Parts: sequence; C-alpha cells; structure tokens
Amino acid sequence: MFKLERRMHISRKVSSIIVFLSFLLAFFVTGVLFYFLGVNVIQFYSVICSVFITPNLLIQAVFRSIPIILASLGLVVAFRMGFWNIGAEGQMYLGMVAATGIVILHVFYEAIPVSLMLAVMSAASFLAGGAWCLIPASLKAKLGVNEILTTLMLNYIAMLFVDYLVYGPWRDPEGWGFALSVPFPDYATLTLGGHPSIAGIIISVAVATLVYILFKYTKFGFVLNVLGKSSEVAKYAGMSVGRATLLGSLISGGIAGLGGFYVVSGMIGRLRPRASPGYGYTAIIVTMLAQLNPWLILPAGIFFGGLLTAGDALQSLLRLPSSAITVFQSVIFLCIVLAEFLRRYRIVLKRWKQ
Amino acid sequence: MEGHDVSVIPLVELKGIVKRFPNVVANDHVDFSLMPGEVHALLGENAAGKTTLMNILYGFYHPDDGEIYVKGKKVRIKSPADSIKLGIGMVHQNFRLIPVHTVWENVVLGLKETGFILNKKKLAEKVKRVCEEYGWNIDPNAKVWQLSVGEKQQVELLKLLIRNAEVLILDEPTSVLTPQETKNLFKALRIMAKKGRGVIFITHKLEEVFEVSDRVTVMRKGRVIATKLTNEVTVEELANMMIGRSVLFKLVKPAIKKGDVVLEAIGLKVMGDRGVLALDGVNLRIHSGEIVGIAGIAGNGQEELMEVLAGIRKVYSGKVFIDGEDVTNKGARYLIEKGVAYIPSESTRWALIRDMTLVENIALKLYRSRNFSNILTINWRKLFEFSKKLIEEYDIATHSPSKLAGILSGGNLQKVVLARELSATQDGKIPKLILAAYPTKGLDVAATEFVQGLLLKYRALGSAIILLSEDLEEIMMLSDRVAVISKGRIVGEFSPTEKTVEEVGMMMVKGNTALGGRKVCLS
Repeated sequence: MFKLERRMHISRKVSSIIVFLSFLLAFFVTGVLFYFLGVNVIQFYSVICSVFITPNLLIQAVFRSIPIILASLGLVVAFRMGFWNIGAEGQMYLGMVAATGIVILHVFYEAIPVSLMLAVMSAASFLAGGAWCLIPASLKAKLGVNEILTTLMLNYIAMLFVDYLVYGPWRDPEGWGFALSVPFPDYATLTLGGHPSIAGIIISVAVATLVYILFKYTKFGFVLNVLGKSSEVAKYAGMSVGRATLLGSLISGGIAGLGGFYVVSGMIGRLRPRASPGYGYTAIIVTMLAQLNPWLILPAGIFFGGLLTAGDALQSLLRLPSSAITVFQSVIFLCIVLAEFLRRYRIVLKRWKQ
Repeated sequence: MEGHDVSVIPLVELKGIVKRFPNVVANDHVDFSLMPGEVHALLGENAAGKTTLMNILYGFYHPDDGEIYVKGKKVRIKSPADSIKLGIGMVHQNFRLIPVHTVWENVVLGLKETGFILNKKKLAEKVKRVCEEYGWNIDPNAKVWQLSVGEKQQVELLKLLIRNAEVLILDEPTSVLTPQETKNLFKALRIMAKKGRGVIFITHKLEEVFEVSDRVTVMRKGRVIATKLTNEVTVEELANMMIGRSVLFKLVKPAIKKGDVVLEAIGLKVMGDRGVLALDGVNLRIHSGEIVGIAGIAGNGQEELMEVLAGIRKVYSGKVFIDGEDVTNKGARYLIEKGVAYIPSESTRWALIRDMTLVENIALKLYRSRNFSNILTINWRKLFEFSKKLIEEYDIATHSPSKLAGILSGGNLQKVVLARELSATQDGKIPKLILAAYPTKGLDVAATEFVQGLLLKYRALGSAIILLSEDLEEIMMLSDRVAVISKGRIVGEFSPTEKTVEEVGMMMVKGNTALGGRKVCLS
C-alpha cells in the first residue's frame, strides 16, 4: 500500500533533483508516445538537438526565446508572491498595443521626439501590461476573487482587443486592407548591433538582474517572498498584504508587457492579430521549470525558444505537424506538475496492519 | 461502559484508535461507544482530539491503528461514502451546503436511491414528514442563503435523516446558534434519541453536556480521560477532567513594583470568525512589570483578545490605549512599532515560515528597522550576525542561521519566535507589551522552564505581559493578576494568592453557564 505523506520541508538540492529528473522523464514519455505514433524518435530528438548546436538555428532559438524569457521573469515576481498569474499572454498583448499606440501617435501626430521613441514605447508597454495585471490583482485584494480565472479570461479579452484594433481603427490605411498596423519606422525598432536578438538579450539579462536584486536584497522583495509563503504570517508581521499584491502584480504584468514591446518592435515590426503564438503560456512552463529562479529562466527560456525553432524543422524534415512540439511542451509541463507534487509529498511504502 | 446494559449491541464502537499527525498524536488509543437511543456528549478543550476522532468515524481520516465496529460488526471506513452507507452522518462546524441552491436540491444532492429520474413528489413528502416530526418549519423551495443559521443546520440534519442515518455526529453544533435555536436543536436531538438513533454531540461547553446528553466522554490531549453517565457526575468533576492538572516545579518570582499603565482596553467588542461577538465588552488594564494571566476555557474569546491587541483583528467597538495613546484599529505594523510583541497560539504556524531560513524568520518584523535596512534594501549580513547572536543567547539547536526553519523541533521553533519577538520588536529596546498565547504548549520540561524564565525576566525588565495558558497552574504561578474570561467577558479579576486552582476552574466553568440563565446543579 502506498501512502502519501506531506513533507514538512524540502532542501533546495532535493528539490532541484526532483525537477531535473521530471524534466528528463518528459523526454522519455514523449519518446514512447511518438514511437507508438510511428515517429522516428531518434530523428525527432536529433532535430531538436541540432537546433542548439547549429549557430544559425541557435540564434533563431534565442531570438524566439526573448518574449518567453521576459514573460517568465514577470511570472517569477507573481508566483513568488503567490499570485497565480496565468495572464502573461494578455499582458504581453497590452504591451504590444501600448508600443504600437505610441508609434501611431508619432507617425500621425509627431508627438514624441525620435530619440526618445524606444524609451517611451517600452515605458508605455510596461505600464499597460502592469495595468492589465492590476485588474485581477485588485479584484483579489479587495474582493478575494480567484486570480487564476480572471488572469486567464483577460487573455482572451486582450487578444480580441488587438483584433479589434488592427481590423478597425488601427488598420494601416496603405496596407491593402490587411489586418495590420502601420509598419514601425526604423527608429521604433530594436536594431541595436545589427540583429534584434542582441537588444533582446541585453533587456533580458538586465531584467533578470533586477528581478534577482529585488528578491535578494530589497525589502519589497522580502515582503513578496513572505506573502507567497503565507499571507497569514505576512499580516502577522505587519506587512500590508493588499498593497504588496497590487505593486507586485504591476511589476509582474509590466515585465510581460515589455515582452510584448519586444514582439512588435523587435520581431514583427508592426502589430498584427495573434502576434504571440502563446509565449505567455509557454512562459508558465519555463517559470516552473526554472523553479522561480531568475537566472535559470534564461537557459530554460532558450530551450523552449529552441523547441519553437525545431517545430519548423520537424515540419519539413519529419513531416510532423508543428503541434508535435506543443505535445512535447505539454508533456514537459505535466512532468513539472508531477515534480511539484513530489516536492510537497513523499511516497511511503506501508503495509496495512490487520 | 459504566452503568450500561451490556446485552444491547452498541451502534458504534471504536477500540484503541490511534491517529498521528506530523509532530502530534491527535488520538492516542481512544475507546468510544455509542448506544442506540442515547445522546453521547464528547467533551474536551480545543485540540483535545474530539473532531479528529469523529472524522475517523466519518471516514474523513484513516486511523493509524485501532478498530471500528458498527452494530457489532467490524468495518473499515475508507471514505464518507462508506460511513453514509453504514448509517453514519456528520454535521460539520462549517456547513456543507450550496447556498445558491434550494433546500430541496441540497437535500437530494448525492442521494443514492433517487435513481436517474427524481421522484420529486415522493421525496418532497418524505422531507415534509421529517420536518413535521421535528417541528421544523423550512420551505423546501427556499434558497439556502436565505435561511438563518439555525435553519441551515436543520437542513444539514434533514440531509442525514432522509438518508436514514442512525448515528448522527454533530461537531460543536451550538457555537453558531442563538439560545433559542440551541433549545430547538436540543429538542430535536432528544426526539432523534427517542426514536432509537444515536447522537454524538461534540462540545466544550459543560452546561450543554448536562442539558442534553445521557452519557459523556471527556477527552484531553488525544486521550479519553473517562466515560460517565451524565447524571452520575458533577460539574466540578467534569471541569477537572477536561482542564487537567500538571506537575509543576517551583519558580522564583521576585516581587516587583509595578509601573505605569501600559495597556488599557475599554469596552472592547470584537467579531469572531463566525460573525458573532467573540469579545463582548472587555475592560483590561495592565501595568509595566506585571504579568496578567487570562484564564478561560478555550474558545471563550481569549485568542481573539490577543489578536485584537496585536492589531491583526479589527475592533468592532471600544478603545485600546497604549501608553495613553489611542491605538484602536491602527493595524499590526503600527503596534509592532509601538513595541508590542506577539507570540500567537500555534506560533510555528502563524508566526514562522517553515521553508524559509532562520535569518529570514528572524527578519520577519526586523527587516523594517533602520539598524538592518535602508530605504530600499535589507542588510542581510548584519541580520545574519544578529541571528547568530540570538541563536546562541536562546540556545537554539542549529548550526547556522541559514538553515531552513522547518528542520527544527517544535521547542526550538518556539524559541525562534520568542527570540525574535522579545529582542527584536524595536531596535534593541525591550517590548512594552508582550502578548504570549500558550507559549509553553507542547514544549518539554526544560523548554517550558526556559520560556517561563524568559517571561519573568522581561517582567523584571518592565514589560507588561498578557499570558494565555492551557495550564491553569502555570497561570496561577506566573501571573501577578488573573482575569477569568468567559463568553467574551471578563467575569472575575483577582490576585493568584486569593484563590485556589479549583476555585478558578469553577469560575471558568460557571461563567460559561451564567449566560445560559440556568443553574447547573446535578448530583
């Protein structure tokens, strides 16, 4: 008879080992699954591996990982304070809207000096993403509404809001009727160092550093950490739980909003419907896999960026639909959930006494 | 099995039930039986193991050891579904009803014999019949949220009666009821018993035991102290069994001249978690250098008193002053800065985070202090050194402050809480007011002695101290003044030398019955 026992505590070492083993388990499970679907599993994995050893593909992987990384760094802040933000996707869309809005303001009204464009765009994206996250946060703080549902539902609202804008008022008048915004002028795109991924890496590392400092050294970070472990203890210690929830989620959504800024300004160069293929959702997996550690977010994010890149190659080489990668991602996620469970409970073998 | 007809097979018999939770044995070889036609009171203080035992019978928990017999047959109850099949039903403290559904829908929910298509008419008749039987007046089509608390409880009972439950377990059913509703409930329970059902009635209120039960089992600290026929036992005997006595060692308590008034509470009224007044006009005044012990049976408002003085619970009406300053509803943080130290009950749960390090736990309140932080950042190195000092001073068994708190034992964790609260409220100054709720609970002799010594030390240094304890002797020994609390009111204040432990015990119990407006006089 197996029995589950709640662990009173777990060392960081054991915890990382469990997560890592679960991650490996995902490769195995996916392999078995695809084997029975008649896929050449060795080829499948070698295509994925090739992404990480071929320079061109690796650059591509890093490029696509940046919005994932930024959204994940936002989620680190939320998850650490026990705010289960599933809404990075929507917060990214709001970031895109804000950045595009600034560009449109500039193109049609020339309201902002060219030299400040990127700064103003990123600030606006941060604020818009943060504000979007403040909606569920204030509902939680004031009325106790479950944030998992509200953040998730706001994703669809954000996505459809973008649809409305690009099919409606923000459609490029010279765009042949396509649902696209005006293309961003050069000074509104991230071209630093020749390839947009360079600016992306700089932003990602900078944000990761800030998040690290936030939790390692600042008072506010400590409050968020305590809040995440036990809101009762936080109240007992005289911390203002409501204010921390609001400010923390503003930061969380804001960082995701920056990811949205990167998507439109660094990757696409304009706003279009479905501009994110689910970066905000992938970010949840990345955040869990990285154990809420801002430094580990970087490699974990690049791994998932690589999976997206491999998806294209799998399509052409193995004739697998690109959703094969979604299957792989989902299996990884399930395995991480399993790890989460094993981190909390210990399985004990026990005989029933007669 | 005193004084019972042995030829009757008990409805339920529990033998040698053991249930362990991490760090605590909730049930330690418990025997219990229920006869058909009796109301059996299960009496004990909070955390005595009553609810755990009943949750085992109800199939909510699985015993680690022991046997369960239902009508003489050995059974294994794996889930509430099993127990319901065996005719056992339970009404929990928090009702398990769906507020937006009607009474009728709530009653039918999960009913097995209805089949796929409801025979609404037949069931409605049955519901009506049961209601008439017990003199209940509930409209089956009313939504549950529209009902009063008493009526909701009737719906819960209705659910059990419709399922023909022969064993009805009620977990502290009167705690949410008005006196009139309580009277009606007791009437219904007597009718149930008369019809041959068995009722188990969990309570910590002595007068209710005498009012409704035939037999009473007293539990303390996970063990059964005794099972008696209710009319063969006195209030005093029950009170002593319930509260218990412990072996004590002598402490040297030096005479200290008390100083100025530190805390003054005037007409304090506070809402409890269940939306009824937990404190009903408490007046309290405490001087520096004075320990005031609050004696009372658990659940009479003493914990709410501590919470409200610590700023964690809101004052409903009345005022709180510290050093003459009105601090009513100023919030926990303000009070911490005023120098209020708080050791809550179950402090390892409410005042510590197990999967954070010791430094972080020690920093919980201190991180705001100028000594250890600037506007933005915390000086962790300085806190680390400070923690090391505290660990040494309080003799906490650990190698390093950077270890997780969760690996320490309960006694050591309590020391961590004390270390933080006593030395760390405000930059090295001693705390003005120490709220110590059950600070020695669950500790071994050495740790108990240590904690008691600390309280006396801070008394000598000039702190004002409020002490709660499950151990009446501890209160009598440490306090300069004892206040007895009952039903949210202070019903007596005296010096511990004026009264014996027995007399105080009676005050705690009598205070409980006083508001019922009825004399408890049996034997």
